[in-house]
Amino acid sequence: MKILIVEDEALLALELESELQSAGHEVVGHAMASDEARHLAERCRPDFAFVDIHLVDGPTGIDVGRHLRDQGIPYVFVTGNLKRIPEDFAGAIGAIEKPYTMNGLKNAVTFLEALVTHDGAIANAPPSLVVAPAFAC
Amino acid sequence: MNQDSHSKQDAREAGERLVNSHASEDPFAAAFKATRMPMIITDPRQPDNPIIFSNRAFAELSGYSTDELIGRNCRMLQGPGSDQAAIARIRAAIAARQNISVDILNYRKDGSTFWNALFISPVRNAEDEVIYFFASQLDVTTVKNKETELAEARRMAEKLVEERTRDLKMALDAKTLLVHEVDHRVKNNLLTIASLLKLQARLTTDVTVAGTLHSVLDRVEALSIVQRKLFTSDDVARFDVAEFARELIIDVVSALKRDDITVELDLSPVLVPAVKASPLALIVNELVGDAVRRGLRDGGGRIDVTVKRLNGHFVIRVHDTLEPADVNVDREEQEFGRLVLETCARQLGARIERGVDGNVNRVDVTLLVGDGEEKTF
Repeated sequence: MKILIVEDEALLALELESELQSAGHEVVGHAMASDEARHLAERCRPDFAFVDIHLVDGPTGIDVGRHLRDQGIPYVFVTGNLKRIPEDFAGAIGAIEKPYTMNGLKNAVTFLEALVTHDGAIANAPPSLVVAPAFAC
Repeated sequence: MNQDSHSKQDAREAGERLVNSHASEDPFAAAFKATRMPMIITDPRQPDNPIIFSNRAFAELSGYSTDELIGRNCRMLQGPGSDQAAIARIRAAIAARQNISVDILNYRKDGSTFWNALFISPVRNAEDEVIYFFASQLDVTTVKNKETELAEARRMAEKLVEERTRDLKMALDAKTLLVHEVDHRVKNNLLTIASLLKLQARLTTDVTVAGTLHSVLDRVEALSIVQRKLFTSDDVARFDVAEFARELIIDVVSALKRDDITVELDLSPVLVPAVKASPLALIVNELVGDAVRRGLRDGGGRIDVTVKRLNGHFVIRVHDTLEPADVNVDREEQEFGRLVLETCARQLGARIERGVDGNVNRVDVTLLVGDGEEKTF
C-alpha cells in the first residue's frame, strides 16, 4: 500500500517507516503538522494513513483524520491517549495505542492491509488494534 | 374642634366605654392592664381603625404615651425598613377579619427599631360583628439578630467552602493534567527507546548484536504494554495480569505466522497492585518468550498458558510440548532470561517450580499470598 505517516516525533516516524517498508509497503509522505498532512494527502493520494493525534501544531490529528475521511482515505490513529479520540473515531478504522510493540504493529498492519485491499473481515482484529464502533462487528 | 380632635375624642370615648363595661375588680381587665406583654385594642367601626386602648407594656415598648397612641392607626409604628409584603399581609387580614401572625420591623417614637412578633385577632359580638381587633406584640429583636447573625455565618461558611472547593478543583485539574503529561512522556519515551533499539538492530550486520538488541527490545516492549494497560484501565492502581498475558501471547504468536505452534489460554482476571505490575509482566514475558524461542527452533508444538487464582494463591503456569533447549545454543540468552525471571520472582516472593512430565515442560510460578495480604490482591 502507499502510506502517509502523520507523526511529529521524527524517530518514531522513521522507525514506523522502516517497519512498513519491511512489510512491503511504500511510505509516500511524512507530515509533522496538520496543514502539511492535508497537503500531502491530496498530493500523494495514499491508500492508507497512520495519524498521531498530537502534532507540531497541537492536538490537530483529529482534524487531519476528518479530512482524510472526506477524501476517502482509510486511516488509523496512532496515539498514547485513546481518551482523546471522539466517539465516532472521526471516521478512523481504529487506533493503535502507543507504545505499541513490534509484534503488535506487525499484526495490526497485516490485518489493516487485508481489510483495505482485499475487503478482509473485521472480525479477529489483533489486540493491538482498537476497532472503531462503526467498524466493529 | 377639628376633624382629628373629633376622631381622637371618639376613640378615647370608645376606650372608656370598654373599660367601664368591666368592673375594676374584673381580673381579665386587670391582667390586660398589668401584663408585661404589650397589647392594644382597635375599633374597626371608627374611621381608619384607631387604637382605643393600649396597656403600659405597649407604651414602654413603643416609647409613646397612652395619650399619643389613642386615636391613631397602628401603622404609625411602621417605617422605611418595614417589609412591604408583611404590611400587605396585615392589611389583607384586617380587611378579611382574620387572625394574623407576622414578624415586622417597627419603629419607636425615638426612631429606633425593634422586631415585632405581631399577633392580631378580631373580637366579635353576639351578632358576629367584628367590634374590636386585639393585637399583642413581642419584641423579638434579639432572636431576629441571632437569626441574621446565623444567616451571615452560614453565608460566610458557604462562601469559604465554595472557595476551598474551587481551590481543590483547580489543584486536582492541575494534578490530572500533570499525570496525563507524565503518562504521555513515559509512553513516548518507551516507544522512542524501542525505536532506537530497532533502528540499530536494522543497521547492524552482526547477528549477535542484532540478537542482543532484540533481546533488550523484547523486555522494553513488555514494560510498554504494562504502561499502556495501567493507564487505559479505569483503576490506574490495579493491573490485570491475565489481560496482559492475553495481549502478549496473541501478539507474539500471531506475528510468528507459524501454524506449527498452537496456544491454549486459561485466563481469568487477576488484579494486582500497580507496583507489582512490572515484575509480574516480566515473569509472564520470560516464560512465554522461552517457550516460543524453543518452539521456533525445534519445529513447533503446543503452549498452554494459565493465569488464575488458586486456593488464595496466584498462579502463572506455562506448559509446553516443545523440545527442551539445547544447552549449546543461545546459552547467554537462556541465562539472561533465567536471571530476569528469578530476580523478579525474588522481588515478589514467588516460588518457581520446573519439571518435565513425558514430553511436557512445566514451569509454575506461584505467588504465596497470605491472608492479610490477600485483600490487596
